[in-house]
Amino acid sequence: MMETTDSNRNLLSVEEIDTYIGQFHILEGVSVDVAKGSITVLLGRNGAGKTTTLKTIMGLTPPRNGRVIFDGQEIQGKQAFKIANFGIGYVPENRAVFRALTVMENLKLAERKKGDLDRHADFIFELFPDLERLSKLKGNHLSGGQQQMLAVARALVPDNKLLLIDEPSEGLAPILIQQMMEAIRKLRETTTILLVEQNFIMASQLAERYVIIDDGKSVHRGLMSDLVQNQDLIHQYLGASIQAPISTSEVQ
Amino acid sequence: MSHNSKKLLYSVIGFLVVAGVVFGLYTYAGQEAFIRTTLSGLTLGSLFFLVAAGLTLIFGLMDVLNFAHGSMFMIGAYTGWQFYTNPTFIFGVLPLVLAFATTVMLIPVIKPRLVRLDLSEAWQKRLPILTYIAALLVAVLALVKFDILGLAKTAMVAVTTTSSNPLAELSPQEPLLRFLLRLLLLMLSGAFIAVGLSKPGNRTEVSAPEPLKKRLILPVVLFVLTIIFTLVRESASEGVLLMNGNLRFALAIIAATLFGFLLGALIEITMIRPLYVRSFFIVLMTLGMSFVMRELVQVLWDPLAYQMVRPPLFAQPGRATTIAEWLMNGSSTISIAGVTFPTYRLFVILLGVVMFVFVTLLMNRSRLGMIIRAGVQDPQMVEALGINVKRVFTLVFALGVALASLGGIGAAPFLPVQPMMGDQYQMQGFITVVIGGMGSYVGAFVGAMILGMARAFGDYFALKLQLSPTIAEASTVIIMIIVLILRPQGLFGKKD
Ligand SMILES: Nc1ncnc2c1ncn2[C@@H]1O[C@H](COP(=O)(O)OP(=O)(O)OP(=O)(O)O)[C@@H](O)[C@H]1O
Ligand SMILES: [Mg+2]
Repeated sequence: MMETTDSNRNLLSVEEIDTYIGQFHILEGVSVDVAKGSITVLLGRNGAGKTTTLKTIMGLTPPRNGRVIFDGQEIQGKQAFKIANFGIGYVPENRAVFRALTVMENLKLAERKKGDLDRHADFIFELFPDLERLSKLKGNHLSGGQQQMLAVARALVPDNKLLLIDEPSEGLAPILIQQMMEAIRKLRETTTILLVEQNFIMASQLAERYVIIDDGKSVHRGLMSDLVQNQDLIHQYLGASIQAPISTSEVQ
Repeated sequence: MSHNSKKLLYSVIGFLVVAGVVFGLYTYAGQEAFIRTTLSGLTLGSLFFLVAAGLTLIFGLMDVLNFAHGSMFMIGAYTGWQFYTNPTFIFGVLPLVLAFATTVMLIPVIKPRLVRLDLSEAWQKRLPILTYIAALLVAVLALVKFDILGLAKTAMVAVTTTSSNPLAELSPQEPLLRFLLRLLLLMLSGAFIAVGLSKPGNRTEVSAPEPLKKRLILPVVLFVLTIIFTLVRESASEGVLLMNGNLRFALAIIAATLFGFLLGALIEITMIRPLYVRSFFIVLMTLGMSFVMRELVQVLWDPLAYQMVRPPLFAQPGRATTIAEWLMNGSSTISIAGVTFPTYRLFVILLGVVMFVFVTLLMNRSRLGMIIRAGVQDPQMVEALGINVKRVFTLVFALGVALASLGGIGAAPFLPVQPMMGDQYQMQGFITVVIGGMGSYVGAFVGAMILGMARAFGDYFALKLQLSPTIAEASTVIIMIIVLILRPQGLFGKKD
């Protein structure tokens, strides 16, 4: 809780949000801070409420209580498209690329100003060279990995200050996970990222900070380097399915 | 790969079936009857398409079944017919509507101030209700003794007595002073509405406003239009009636389409938008609205059927042998491969094809089309990209209604203009959408043409074999059933 006072360094502060879906109380007082220029990861079991937290920030499932402060402005309760236009890019967990649109059209659609894509095309295609090759293909002809690349690339078309990325490694082959990790690492140089990632190895290598969500509450937060040492905490909240983190050298 | 070869196989089978049916009909009916019936089918198909295109776009993007679509077709026909035969009614009512809209559109200007008012929560709820009541009372006061029925009847007279002097039917409008008073009252009424809609005291609605200049553009434009149209109330009708008939018809088409667009936008914003969360109510609401529109039209123009006069380009007796000759003489019929066919119906076919091309370009070449194609799949994600999806919904609904309205005025010169004229087209429109596949405009076009042909050839066989003419109507349903059995998602529908 110490960090919340240090608000000028936080690009995003989520303060005690309550989110309901229908009558279900999904998030109960979740708080998350994301420092400018950093990667923060949301950890937690399946169904803990990580995706809902991102959607609440994005305005897709608006919170009933609590505040979301982005870049010094309260954004909770605003319509999603307005929130996006403040400079937030969203990469959803289901790789919602548009199947009826070509790769190029998917990217074009994400423009907020004319010329957004032209300005960032070189950068995007350097990160994901496949996309340039596939640019005329429709979304429904892409493989899972290609769709994931496109979903991330789409968030890079406009000038976003913050990216919300939901499980970018889900269902990807190991080589592609590596490529995705490299891409996200490069993105950090220019933007701030709030990541949801079940792959603990990937999460621990990318993020500086973590927040653990459990059963709709944010129960723990701190430096990733501390969490890696804390096997008990990992077991308690992230389950036995996650193996102990392997050192960086072993992965690469 | 097997998916693609399956697709190819279906296309080949489809092509063979179509070719077989066409060849069979051709040899059976003979060239003359075949061409005539085909052209009739295309005419009907064009109208079906104009209705079905809107239905399928609206359903595809918003999951809304618009049961008022046929009424909007009918409204388009009435608007165009009024404009063409005697626009006294239109020009008499237009300034009133504009005056009201002027002040309602002040919302973006006054809202930033009003939301900052210090009001208790009880008053935040009470005040809008009070303003709406006030608005209603003032509006009633504004329209006291306004002879709207008299205005409406002017065009009916014009129909019954087709005199050589079109101006003979023009009746004078109200004295200017009394009319100005009505305008002022309506502006006041609109202002009350604007205050209510601004949610005074509701601070959560605060958002960074655009510059004042930008927010003032629309109200100022509307105000200027109000003044202009007030001053030309009488002379505008005269001017329109003295115009070249073809030009007047072109303007009537534009007027009907534009009115359909605005009506559609208004209906979407005020009545459909609050109901997206309960889509079943939308069905009931649009159904109810279709009854209201029909009754309204009956009150204004009586439950009669009118025949709109065909524009001069299609009205001169005589048969043209070439298109150039038709355009020169304005012949009412033209000879196509030895078959005499009404030129106006060729125009309707052209209208349908042009609109199909327009919709195709819109969907594939424009940003709006891109948004629609994406929104059909996942409107939430489109919104998360920073696109105002609500506004896109409004636009698509308005566009759909505009197409139906265009179909209505297109049909007016050869169908009787009457309150029920849209019902049959709505039914056929829905069947077209089912055959073509929900949400597919290509499907709507192909489906419309198939249905048009089925109707035309059904009529032909009914006549030739002395069967009951209902066989033509039944044929469309039979086609729908066959398609549903073979391809439940429709010819061009995506599996879901
Ligand atoms: N539309 C909905 N209706 C009802 N409950 C929902 C809905 N969406 C999500 N939930 C519930 O909310 C809880 C949190 O879901 P959420 O998707 O945020 O979890 P998550 O942490 O992202 O899980 P995962 O790791 O599986 O992606 C879950 O228990 C889920 O069942
Ligand atoms: Mg999730």
